[in-house]
Amino acid sequence: MEQDAQLVQQCLQGDGSAWEELVRRHSRRIFNICYRFTGNRTEAEDLSQDVFLRVYRTLGSYRSAHGGFATWMTSVTRNLLIDHYRRTKRDRVTDSLDDAMPVVENKESAGRRPDEQALLGELSSQVQVALAHLSPELREAVILRDLQQLEYSEIQAVLAVPEGTVKSRINRGRIELARILQQMGVRPS
Amino acid sequence: MNWTCEQTELMLTDYLDRLLPTDEQHAFDLHVNTCERCAPLVADVTRAVHTMHSLPELDVPPRLVYNILDATVGPRETVTRWSAFLRSFASPKFAYGSLSVAATFLMLVTASGFNWKKPKVADLAPAAIYRNTNRQIHLAYARGTKYVSDLRVVYEIQSRLRQDNELPTSNEGTVPETAPPKRPGTTDGTTPASPRQQNRARVPGDVVTASNQSDNLSSHLRVLAEELPVLSGKLSLAMSEKLY
Repeated sequence: MEQDAQLVQQCLQGDGSAWEELVRRHSRRIFNICYRFTGNRTEAEDLSQDVFLRVYRTLGSYRSAHGGFATWMTSVTRNLLIDHYRRTKRDRVTDSLDDAMPVVENKESAGRRPDEQALLGELSSQVQVALAHLSPELREAVILRDLQQLEYSEIQAVLAVPEGTVKSRINRGRIELARILQQMGVRPS
Repeated sequence: MNWTCEQTELMLTDYLDRLLPTDEQHAFDLHVNTCERCAPLVADVTRAVHTMHSLPELDVPPRLVYNILDATVGPRETVTRWSAFLRSFASPKFAYGSLSVAATFLMLVTASGFNWKKPKVADLAPAAIYRNTNRQIHLAYARGTKYVSDLRVVYEIQSRLRQDNELPTSNEGTVPETAPPKRPGTTDGTTPASPRQQNRARVPGDVVTASNQSDNLSSHLRVLAEELPVLSGKLSLAMSEKLY
């Protein structure tokens, strides 16, 4: 956290390498949030780029006293994702569960056997399909809590809602997701 | 505590995240164990949460970081194959490697007998290099042999001198005063045939004078010259001249 704040200070002083370091440190996390929210790699790439562009332009408004840089960046990401969701709502066609075909994903494969990788890839795709059927409020809460594994206080800061609302959304999101996964016939061990 | 199905659904996240107080946790467990509706719900949600926790993060697309940097700080310098190759020459690694190769080359050329003051192209011919190298090796071997021989001579002389210096003092008290005085080199009235015999024939207790000492040393050198035919003539002569 302190290192992030230091890098931000260096960026503001015009250090290009500090900005590059920040991008390298956070690009993976931001891309994953975007992908889990949209379910589309190309959209996730474009959105990640937009997130960093906005962060770069508004870096001066970041205050380390108000929270960690990662939380601030996640908050920017969330706002952009919601904007994107609203913007594309009309164009989006809601697929039924029967039409949802899992997409083979390129995942981290270090230390896993090929059969385990294949299983995890399939499971990941099924979870992605199930997430797509959640409302954006529930989806973002579940992604932040169970995929990004943020603390309640951090989620509260990102979503800018009271802690009770955060808990309620996570709770409803989890129950809904479990129900969808069960309907899909996914029974992970 | 009376626990309902609605409470189970509401408090499920707190239960899974272990945020419930002990008594509520207990009541929750009791209810779930007996409720046919809540038991599968809790099991399904627990499984879903564990599934999401087990999912690995996706790898970032290779071009994403560069695209972000291009979009923010501007396009970066494109590193082509040739420029990367040429840039590698400017590295300290390459400089050290070049220096060590050059030093090795200089040493080898010098060792092969190449004359740096009057360099000739003919000296760099393989046959000339072989001949010169062979000559240098033999010269080095001869010098080494001579050096070892000289060391042996010096050591022999030093040890003999040490013996001579020790003999008179150690034997002074043991020789009887009544012993008849004899000339050095004579034992029974006959002259010894060789310097070695002369050396052996010396009677302990003789008064060691400067002339006697120089005689002894010259005799030592003669003995050494006989025993060690490989002795350097120069060294022996020099020592002899010094002594006389």
